[in-house]
Amino acid sequence: MVEELANSINKNIVLQVNHVTKQVKLDDKSLTILHGIDLEVNKGETLAIVGSSGSGKTTLLSLLAGLDLPSSGEIFLKQQPLHLFDEEQRSQVRAKYVGFIFQQFLLINSLTALENIMVPAELAQIKQARSLALKLLADVGLSERGDHFPSQLSGGEQQRVAIARAFITQPDILFADEPTGNLDSKTGEHITDLLFQLNQQFGTTLVLVTHDQKLAQRCQRIIEMDSGNLMRDSAINHLTSNLA
Amino acid sequence: MSFIQPLAIQQSLRLFRHELRRGELTIIFLAIVLAVATVFSLTSFSAQIKTALVDESSSFIGADRVLQTSRVLPKEIIDYSQRLQLNMAQQVLMASMVFAHDEMQLVSLRAVSALYPLKGQLLIKQGENNIHALHAPPRGEVWLAKKLFQSLAVKLQDNIEIGDAYFTITGIIEQIPDASFSVFTSGPSVIINIADLEKTKLIQPASRVTYKYLFAGKPENIDKFEKWLTPQLNDTQRWYDIKSSQSQLASALNRAEKFLSLASLLGIILAAVAVAVAARRYGQRHQSSVAVFKAMGASRQYIKQVYLFHWFILVTLSLLTGLIIGYVIQLIGLWAMADYLSTSSQTFSFYSLFAAVFTGIICALAFAFEPLQTLIRTSPLKVIRENDSPINRYSLLKQIPALAALFILLWFFSQDLYTSMVLFFGGIVVITLLLLLARLAMLFSKQVGSQAGQALQLALANLRRRANENSVQLVSFTIAIKLLLLLLVIKSELINDWQAQLPDNTANRFLINISPEQVNHLKHFIVENKLAASKAYPVVPGRLVAINEEKIQRKVTKENEDKSNQGRQGIGRELNLTWQKKLPIKNQIIAGEWWQENTDKFLVSVEEKLAKRLAIKIGDKLTFQLGADIFTVTVANLRKVNWQSLQPNFYMIFSPNVLAEFPATYIASLYIPAEKEQQFRLFLSQYPTITLLDVDAMLRQLRTVISQVSLAIEFILVLVVLAGSLVLVAQVQATMDERQRELAILRTLGAKGRLLRNSILYEFLALGALAGLLASLAMEVSLYFLQTQLFEMSPRFHGEFWLIAIASGSVFVGFMGMLSCWKLINKTALYHQI
Repeated sequence: MVEELANSINKNIVLQVNHVTKQVKLDDKSLTILHGIDLEVNKGETLAIVGSSGSGKTTLLSLLAGLDLPSSGEIFLKQQPLHLFDEEQRSQVRAKYVGFIFQQFLLINSLTALENIMVPAELAQIKQARSLALKLLADVGLSERGDHFPSQLSGGEQQRVAIARAFITQPDILFADEPTGNLDSKTGEHITDLLFQLNQQFGTTLVLVTHDQKLAQRCQRIIEMDSGNLMRDSAINHLTSNLA
Repeated sequence: MSFIQPLAIQQSLRLFRHELRRGELTIIFLAIVLAVATVFSLTSFSAQIKTALVDESSSFIGADRVLQTSRVLPKEIIDYSQRLQLNMAQQVLMASMVFAHDEMQLVSLRAVSALYPLKGQLLIKQGENNIHALHAPPRGEVWLAKKLFQSLAVKLQDNIEIGDAYFTITGIIEQIPDASFSVFTSGPSVIINIADLEKTKLIQPASRVTYKYLFAGKPENIDKFEKWLTPQLNDTQRWYDIKSSQSQLASALNRAEKFLSLASLLGIILAAVAVAVAARRYGQRHQSSVAVFKAMGASRQYIKQVYLFHWFILVTLSLLTGLIIGYVIQLIGLWAMADYLSTSSQTFSFYSLFAAVFTGIICALAFAFEPLQTLIRTSPLKVIRENDSPINRYSLLKQIPALAALFILLWFFSQDLYTSMVLFFGGIVVITLLLLLARLAMLFSKQVGSQAGQALQLALANLRRRANENSVQLVSFTIAIKLLLLLLVIKSELINDWQAQLPDNTANRFLINISPEQVNHLKHFIVENKLAASKAYPVVPGRLVAINEEKIQRKVTKENEDKSNQGRQGIGRELNLTWQKKLPIKNQIIAGEWWQENTDKFLVSVEEKLAKRLAIKIGDKLTFQLGADIFTVTVANLRKVNWQSLQPNFYMIFSPNVLAEFPATYIASLYIPAEKEQQFRLFLSQYPTITLLDVDAMLRQLRTVISQVSLAIEFILVLVVLAGSLVLVAQVQATMDERQRELAILRTLGAKGRLLRNSILYEFLALGALAGLLASLAMEVSLYFLQTQLFEMSPRFHGEFWLIAIASGSVFVGFMGMLSCWKLINKTALYHQI
């Protein structure tokens, strides 16, 4: 069944979302965070999800990346039906196709900058993880800081390490959650440049969640969320209605 | 689990190497190291102290074990002891007359075999400055107590007659290791070789003879022999070691042993609690790393392998370090006490090794089970939602492995299911109550907080906000402080108790056979020399013949005598009766009432244990025979006697007019300091009929043993304090992450360093003081049970320790808290730079 589903999807579409809803239980009440989201993301596309706090953009990102499961609806990532997969299967999908950049950087504190970059490559069993990591470290301008631990790096440096880590497996799709959210505007700009530069270099599909209009503007496509609904999709330039 | 991937091992080692170097594993490492080191050093050290003490004090009975009997032992018993390669020495004791020229004297005769004594020293003086530790005298020779040289008017190399045989005097007895502490022994000692006994023809069918068979050897062989022998013993045979000899020393040793066991057990519990707290922290610390690994696509299997292997290396390294440190601590302890432990001790024991490794593994498996399980299950979603943390959800079910481990440890170390259950379930009840109290105290802080200064308000607000974690933290602090207090109080009371029993002016001489006219002279001598002395008690020998007109001849016979103890020998056939107007000191009425001083009724006060043995109740009529006279008295009260007090003690004390008409001799005990020794000898030389019993040497030995025990107890207390401190540190460390976040926020909001420092200080001071208060309460309750049930001491309230607990609790917790947070307070500034 999984194969049938996969074959029925256009190979050019990296991410396909059909009528996805997300509900959570709060005390005894059920709260709907996402109302019937439909979305398609093509290969190599850069997409910004914007919206006010609590609009559901981070929740959507966690579902798209397979970190969480939708309450209903379908999500296909590289033709893989994430909504049908258990935690282990989704892990495999992430290892194979996905890269991450987080607002909090989320480097592993007890590993050096170099070792942090190597983690996804090692998980994907890429043999030359170390040499690749060294190269990326140089690409993000931190050749001299490979032996340093995250606590010895500034916020901007930590995010550069995180970017190098995200690209080491040359993922098909990269998810970024407020990548400049914890940085001052100057450092933020540097990071944005680096992100788009590497994105172009590797031809990665980029999905990012941000409050930063400047950052959003650099994407080919912007979708806006409000109260769990997808309100505007700039690329196709029409309002989508709430189907839920 | 499938075969472990090399990649997971590599990642584990990498994490481990960095974390160890960066000090992130220090607390959990120290906790396991301490648990293992504590168990290793405590088990081996306390076992060795016990062995050495028992070994040394065994000299008081001249052997490891003694079998005392009124008949010759069957050959198969002796054969079996030989098969087990036990050393055996034999003693035959009896009262006999000795004759020299025209003099004669009733003596206590000991015929001893070649190996006597197996433990301790028999010191014999054979000339000026010529004192040796010897065994049995050669055949045909005799050694006499010093006093006999005067009363028999003999000197070394003279001959004396014992029974039908003649002996040459070749030595003066300076010290007999297993000399009776009884003041009523039948005379000065005389020692001959057991092979000469037959030719004296003293043993006749009706002779009253006591046989003592002394055994010594390897502990396991002694135990084997004991297990084989004891079921065969009859009522006239008594098997004892130093601890069951019911002497003052035995009581000290028994209490010390119980204390050492209890201290070890509490030390182990504290170390285990430290491991549990640190393991939880370990789990929490690694959660974000696991979430990142998972988000990057790591499988659960991979995470499991990485962290189980990580934990495995950590535990193995801690275990090995713990064993080495434990061994070193034990060596240091033994070295420090080398002067006290004259017996050479074995420095390595497989039992200790096994116990330490067992404890380490149990702690590492059981206490880490729940935190590791939760860690492995960490959701990758945590990378986005920080508070998606299942580890904060407490469930009793998840704590089952940890609780089971604690119970297993209790059982393993106490070897007593009942004690383990009492400690375990008692502990759960106490912890539940403490949790409730802790929550109440947190709520109460709200009332106080509204009237407090800014820093204090912030501190109290923090306490309340973290009420859940703080309650847990408070309970750990409380338990650690309580256990430490408990040991401290018991330690000081045990030592005080021993010292109280043996104050500096404890009687070191007993005078027996004082005639009524000599009593005043003695009193004069005592006053003149300002000596500490008991009063002079009249003594009349008499026999209890009937209870409520029922003849009891058979009840108070050999059986009772054999079951009695060394300190109370000779009460069997004839009791030493006395009369008193007032209740003697260190005696306590436990039933009935003491009589009026001028009563003319015929009353008797009976010692409680004898009363119990003979089923004597208040109001019973006891009939005594004194020579040809028979009279009956009514039991007025039952009396508890402190047999350990070195003063004349009596089973039966009569009201004054009952015995007044009978001829009595007097007995008194007194303390003769060294500088009065000469005057005392001079005084005694005027009254040759007075018998002197010198217990000075025995007292000195007793004091030495007690000081050894006290030192051992203090050494173990240090280890337990270390374990307790680690619990406190681990617990403070456990809330560091959250504190870090809060401090960052407060800093960002513009809180000054001083305010933050003070609020943290107040928070920890308040926690410490509260823990000290709760600990004192819990200590008082536990102590009541321990002292009454385990140590047989009288319980009392310990107000001074409440103050110590509250003060030291707040100082220690405050200091540790500040120390742990110091870096955080300064580090938070970094967040501005991000």
